[in-house]
Amino acid sequence: MKVYDLIIIGGGPAAMSAAVYAARRKLKTALIAKQLGGQMNEGYVIENYLGPYGTPGPALAKKFIWHLNIFKKELEIKEGEKVQQISGCDSSVKIVETDREEYKTKTVIIATGKSEKKLDIPGAKEFEGKGITYCATCDAPMFSGKIVAVVGAGDSGIDTVHQLLSYTSKIYWLNKYAEIKGENKTLGEEMLNNGKVQYLPNCVPSEIKGEKFVKSLIYTNVQNNQKSEVEVEGIFVEIGSTSKVDFINGCLKTSEWGEIEINHQTGATSVPGIFAAGDVADTKYKQISIAVGQGAIAALSAADYLKTLNKK
Amino acid sequence: MIKVYSTPTCPYCVTLKNFLKEKGIDFEDLDVALDAHARDEMVEKSGQMGVPVSDIDGEIVIGFDRDKICQLLKLEC
Repeated sequence: MKVYDLIIIGGGPAAMSAAVYAARRKLKTALIAKQLGGQMNEGYVIENYLGPYGTPGPALAKKFIWHLNIFKKELEIKEGEKVQQISGCDSSVKIVETDREEYKTKTVIIATGKSEKKLDIPGAKEFEGKGITYCATCDAPMFSGKIVAVVGAGDSGIDTVHQLLSYTSKIYWLNKYAEIKGENKTLGEEMLNNGKVQYLPNCVPSEIKGEKFVKSLIYTNVQNNQKSEVEVEGIFVEIGSTSKVDFINGCLKTSEWGEIEINHQTGATSVPGIFAAGDVADTKYKQISIAVGQGAIAALSAADYLKTLNKK
Repeated sequence: MIKVYSTPTCPYCVTLKNFLKEKGIDFEDLDVALDAHARDEMVEKSGQMGVPVSDIDGEIVIGFDRDKICQLLKLEC
């Protein structure tokens, strides 16, 4: 079986950046991703990535993919495959198993990013797709003229409210904390003056009720424990994310938040030959620009590691 | 007869439609952001308020479920 120099797992900015650097270093590389673009695919408008100011997330993803494809002669891009397991952590050759094939490789870069955290309250599972949605970019137009709730007031929550203002008639905006947080805090605070927005600070959702579709949301004020019910047809959830690391089998050290612990100078994980980059790693700030930088660091470190392997 | 109910901004919809195009499958593209009739039809057929939804000869597929689409269209994927 062919042994790769490097297998990159993931399709977001960290993975694509690592792939470009690996290709330029002429490493025998495969990139395995369920879908290219990562979380950029769901971003509304991206204003903090230097250069293409104000580009919609999917358009920025397209630019990255275009750039990646310039190197497609040097890279094997395996889109649509899902990694199920990494084994051989103690060995100099690691095995990456996907739902289709098994690959041998000397180094691995894990850049699988994060996925949205789901609500865990009565009615949350039952009404997912029936009024509860985790992708405002996808589903906002479905709620034209309707009353909705947004749960979460971090960057994604702010982005969601911003998108929904042009479609919905009223937005109940629940925030677990008193204040709006995040890079786009200013936009978030500006939207509080919009007549369509009813801001509910210190409030968390407790139960979702409905029949075929969502009809109402019960929420609790965490300061006085008082419960209230509001009629809504849609609930947009943006309560953070969890790392996509179910395939590492306890092979790597992770933080208490489930993020892969890395050496921030090199991207190295607790296992020699395995590197991590972007949102999946224990980086404080989850940003496209940081993911791009970390992808580059991980690829260059993998190239250095390969040189030491070849000397042995 | 294949219908794809989607919104222009939805990344999974774009992926699904590109996938069908790559496989040479003809389909009717219904933009539920603009077409209220298509939106109601989609909700009625699927019981879903989220896109994408595909109607493949009467079989409803929710989301971009590559394996199910391949199975229904008898494609090698």
